[in-house]
Amino acid sequence: MDGVITKKSNGKLGGKDLINIGIYAAIYCVIMTAISMLGFIPVLMPSLAVLCPLIGGITMMLFYTKVKKFGMITIITVLIGAFLWITGMGYWPFIFGIICGVVADLIAKGGNYASKKMTMLSHGIMNITIFGCFLPLYLDIDGYFASRTSYGSDYVNVLKTIFQPWTAPIILGCAFVFGVLGALLGMSFMKKHFEKAGIV
Amino acid sequence: MDPRTKLLILITITTFALGGAGGKRVEALVPVLCMMPFLLLITAKRFKTAVIGIFLFWVTTFLLGFANTHGMSGFLYYILLGSCGILGRFLPCIMMGRYLMESTTVSEFNAAMKRMHVSDNFIIPMSVMFRFFPTVIDEAESIGCAMKMRGISLTGKHASKIIEYRMVPLMTCCVNIGEELSAAALTRGLGGNVKRTNICKIGFRMQDYVAMALCLIPWILLIVDVVK
Repeated sequence: MDGVITKKSNGKLGGKDLINIGIYAAIYCVIMTAISMLGFIPVLMPSLAVLCPLIGGITMMLFYTKVKKFGMITIITVLIGAFLWITGMGYWPFIFGIICGVVADLIAKGGNYASKKMTMLSHGIMNITIFGCFLPLYLDIDGYFASRTSYGSDYVNVLKTIFQPWTAPIILGCAFVFGVLGALLGMSFMKKHFEKAGIV
Repeated sequence: MDPRTKLLILITITTFALGGAGGKRVEALVPVLCMMPFLLLITAKRFKTAVIGIFLFWVTTFLLGFANTHGMSGFLYYILLGSCGILGRFLPCIMMGRYLMESTTVSEFNAAMKRMHVSDNFIIPMSVMFRFFPTVIDEAESIGCAMKMRGISLTGKHASKIIEYRMVPLMTCCVNIGEELSAAALTRGLGGNVKRTNICKIGFRMQDYVAMALCLIPWILLIVDVVK
């Protein structure tokens, strides 16, 4: 990984870039955890695919202003995926994180990390990582709940009615569309607040 | 214990106990895995946390078993299952995470990651994340308190403003703290081209091998399952 990133970028990722990645990843993860608490109410579980990209967009847009080199978006997405893994979402987000991160990074690079449209698109792709959390629900719904009987049969039944197989593309689409919308929201926030405060 | 072993235990617990991977055959191992963090906390001389943890864990397990065998139903049952199920499931992971955070210094963590040949591009962000989590949570709490005073909370008058009024200050102050942090780290030579050295002594010992052997069993079962 290291060799690839260093060779492709115009400059090596410096210490400051890496620290920035860590800081924004930490903020993003804290926000995401706060939102995920809603997932304990079964009806609101799919709304995670909407809220996380939307609110996380504010953080991410601020992060995108700091991105100038290839690799930064990849690393932050992988880190977020890893965080989802160790907080109990299974290993799918991690795998998704690697793929989506590289794709999102390539797209943002296509816009030279300055184009608004490319940034939006890239943020949308990045948020497909969140779909990884829901994947086990579709792959093997009975096996998934067989190990989660402790949540209670009501919870399981409600979730089973929500997560019909046909909703998979919808959730995937939601994650993407709201990723794009989140980017828009983040940009408007930047104009409204952060530029004034002088931290961009 | 070696940080690498701790990481392996954490990942194993979250994947199998919390994520529920592996299905039936691993299930028998789950209680064993769940007890591990408490044992580790005791070895780290955190008796109070460990005892409270064990107590909560067994109470929730017992209550769940009780409710299931008696076929309770209705609202009370749902509340009980919801709170106990979630608590019992997350408790071992939270405890393990706490043990990992408290018993490992950032330098030790770095040394372990270096030993695993993880690229610097991942080590530095990860150690910054470790360092930064408590700060972000702390700031978020303070901002939450301040906003509650102005009626901007989930139950307050201006609940609709909650996102904007909480996110913006949080971002602003975290970014500022981050700037200072990165300045401090650069002063200590983080961005340099020279290879950084580390004085932490890490290595596998007897207890590491035992813990690793225990962690590998569910993974092997999972792989066997997937291959089939």
